[in-house]
Amino acid sequence: MNIWPFVIKKLIGAIPLLLGVTLLAFLLMVYFGPDLTYELLGKNPSQQDIDNIRTILGYDQPFIWRYLNYLRELLTFDFGMSMMKDQPVIDMLTQAIPVSLLLMLPGFILGNVLAIILALKATQYRGLWPDKTIMTFAVIGMSVSFLVVIIAFQIIFSSSYGLDWFPVRGWNLTSQEGHFSLWQYLYHVSVPTLATLFVSLGYNTRFYRAVLVEEMNKDYITTARASGHSTTRITYQFMLKNAMIPIITRVMFSIPLIIISGSLLIESYFGIPGVGQITYDAIIAGDQAVLKAVIGLTSVLFVLVLLIAEIIYRVFDPRIDSRQAA
Amino acid sequence: MRTKLTLTLLLVLLLSACQQESTESTQTLRHSEKKVYRHSEDDRPNSLDPIKASTVYSNLLVVNIFDTLYAYKYLERPYALKPNLAVDMPSISENGLVYTIKIKPEVRFTDHLAFTNGQGREVKAQDFVYSIMRSFDPNNGGTGAWLWQGKIVGIDDWREAGADYDALIPGLLALDDYTIQIKLTEPYPQLTYTLAMGFSAITPREVVEHLGQEFGSKPVGSGPFKLTSFNSDTAYLAKNPNFRAEPLDLAYEGYDPELHSKYGIQKLSGKAPPFIDELEVHFIKETSSRWHSFTKGNEIHYTTVPKDKQSAVILQQEPLQLHPQITDQYHYTYGLEAGFVYHGFNMQDPDFGISGDEVQNQKNHALRCAIRKAHNWSQKNRAFYFGLGQVFPGIIPPSVPEFDPAMSIDSVEVDIEAARTLLSDYGWTADNLPLFEYHVSGSVLQKQFFEQMRGFMHAIGYPANKIKYQPYPNFGQFNKAVKNRQAPFFFMGWTLDYPDAENTLQLFYGPNETPGQNNFNYHNPKFDALFEQSRILQPSTERTALYREMNQMVVDDCVVISGLSRNKIHLWHKNVITFPDREIVGGFHLRYVDIIPE
Repeated sequence: MNIWPFVIKKLIGAIPLLLGVTLLAFLLMVYFGPDLTYELLGKNPSQQDIDNIRTILGYDQPFIWRYLNYLRELLTFDFGMSMMKDQPVIDMLTQAIPVSLLLMLPGFILGNVLAIILALKATQYRGLWPDKTIMTFAVIGMSVSFLVVIIAFQIIFSSSYGLDWFPVRGWNLTSQEGHFSLWQYLYHVSVPTLATLFVSLGYNTRFYRAVLVEEMNKDYITTARASGHSTTRITYQFMLKNAMIPIITRVMFSIPLIIISGSLLIESYFGIPGVGQITYDAIIAGDQAVLKAVIGLTSVLFVLVLLIAEIIYRVFDPRIDSRQAA
Repeated sequence: MRTKLTLTLLLVLLLSACQQESTESTQTLRHSEKKVYRHSEDDRPNSLDPIKASTVYSNLLVVNIFDTLYAYKYLERPYALKPNLAVDMPSISENGLVYTIKIKPEVRFTDHLAFTNGQGREVKAQDFVYSIMRSFDPNNGGTGAWLWQGKIVGIDDWREAGADYDALIPGLLALDDYTIQIKLTEPYPQLTYTLAMGFSAITPREVVEHLGQEFGSKPVGSGPFKLTSFNSDTAYLAKNPNFRAEPLDLAYEGYDPELHSKYGIQKLSGKAPPFIDELEVHFIKETSSRWHSFTKGNEIHYTTVPKDKQSAVILQQEPLQLHPQITDQYHYTYGLEAGFVYHGFNMQDPDFGISGDEVQNQKNHALRCAIRKAHNWSQKNRAFYFGLGQVFPGIIPPSVPEFDPAMSIDSVEVDIEAARTLLSDYGWTADNLPLFEYHVSGSVLQKQFFEQMRGFMHAIGYPANKIKYQPYPNFGQFNKAVKNRQAPFFFMGWTLDYPDAENTLQLFYGPNETPGQNNFNYHNPKFDALFEQSRILQPSTERTALYREMNQMVVDDCVVISGLSRNKIHLWHKNVITFPDREIVGGFHLRYVDIIPE
């Protein structure tokens, strides 16, 4: 299977999509986003001071010129300086994205793997007590506010009012010698991961259960049972494999959000310098340099994820390849 | 079943191992020689470039990374200036127009690649001149130029001529490597105060030119600490090993055994700051997170008491007494903020302000005064500030020496009957009252303020459908509306830049109308004349009398519903020696923090 023509075709097809997304986002930013001028003014500004700030921010440039400049920044990955922080945007993101990845990955992986396992069990015992128990916990996870979960877990596991096992703040993954320390990592990431798991497990389990139940009702499962295949073989070899398309879609489309969006609440409450806070601050303040980078990179990531997802679909369902070839 | 049990045991072991490891590392840190002090603030700074140090958060770090010519004495209250990088207080000519300041020799910037051989060079008088020039360079986006605009001879012309750093400004000269001369256009008694502000902190030209705008995130100065890293959550600073050795003279700094001995400050006498090896400033907006981190014992050492924890901390309000569980574990102090909160009217607004019609002006004046009489400061204080704030009349807050404790408190007393009478006397009825828009930077707290205001207005018969909440998504948008005169009524706070009532009175000076600081667009020729007369006077009883006269004018004209100064409770661990205060002093106290080894 030569995938390169497919990849090139998809990438070319993504150009109008990227242009559309960036244009729309930029339009909203410029005409409906916060005006940073009055955030940056000194205490006794004159009209000249206001005009100076607008020039520094580039607000006095024509829209089309600013948009073309944005496209150039996206192509060169040089997003200039943050309008608020006096830091190159790319430096801010390259420092914060790995932090958010390290923070979110355990919860993301465990949240999906455990959810698939639980969904399989629930499907296997559909309508019986294991299914009902799993679904009850899933609904609880979905119903409780993430903010409440974070505060409660912080009190239970981290504060002096609770078990006091883990830190409240102070994200530091290095040992005293200055090297990356796995123990420090586990020490800092455990409670955020537990909080993420508590919430995401509910949503994921319900979704995967619905996918698997739909698959279980299909004729080929009845045929497999009639042929005398074991439940384990039917579940893992036939049913799970055929359910992988929606599962892959859900997993893959979560990735850009984890990389770029991070988790504002987790980062704020645990003092973790991730990309969630940077994005939130940029939205509230109207730091267009940061917003342009975040929106642009998210769009590019979505295009790449879409591409990779389609390649993986072919592995699990060769019919996709043959249909496209036809 | 056995597998499940094994997995559970493994998980518990893993978690216990994490805990054990971390405890060990914490203990190792405790036993190490390094003294690390972890400070917390309730918001974060944007830039650490001195010319942009307009918030208390930026200023707190700037005055610790850079040197200013003057600083505030550590413990003396009311606030008093002392030389910092300057050798002595300025020598001022008889006419008050020429300031000559000598700076200390052999003070060095911390190392940076931009210096020859990467080693920090000596701080010279020319660096101060350069640092002030930067605020006037239109390409820099500085926010502190207003302090010296129109006041230093030639500085505005320098900006107009293109801000050439090699050009001379006649009013801002380095006479030699260690002598600065400032010539003023008119006497400016507050000048020395401005030289203690972060805006005037001294920056090295070669590093600024090397880093460009990035200087704001990688600052290099000659202060007691140097920045090692800075992100959205924490600023990490290390002791500047070359910081000049100046032993702490407690008597000079205003030490009062009755007030300060309980904090152990006397142990630091004669030692040269900074006393800690590393300083971490954690920016924590989330109150529960800040509180849990503080009470944990091994994380942040200092916090102000968050609003939602005050009921758990305070045992009694007058006099303030904290719960024994708190006082047993932590040191505390409390004090009024150097500033206040207030509601203001836009006097250019046709419905509430002044227009060409004298009859309408009188009606509007009555309307503003009636709204002020409806406002219940005492209730606001109890509901939102735990009754700890100090309500005062007018615009001269209790934190400045010119405050008049004998001033009539009528303007901050609620009087519903008088308000109703005033409205009816001037022909205001439910039908002809104008739409009352309450403009604020939106938040849950501001919405609560509005609901309370609506209650006050309802009490004087203002129809509910004529009271409108107008929130903005951030301060910038709100500020834009105010500066563009689109907010007839607004709620704001003011933090004093220096302990002189001129800093609040100038908010009502006519020529400072929006987009300047006079957000009220208040024009009163008598007030303006008195302001011009008083602003060139050195502190004196004559000046205080003029200040108080202006204060009364603002009260009589019902321009503002003012005010309340909030009270902050500071808590810190008992193994930390400090006397925290982030008001006007803005962070100078951090160099005097010490940690007692356990």
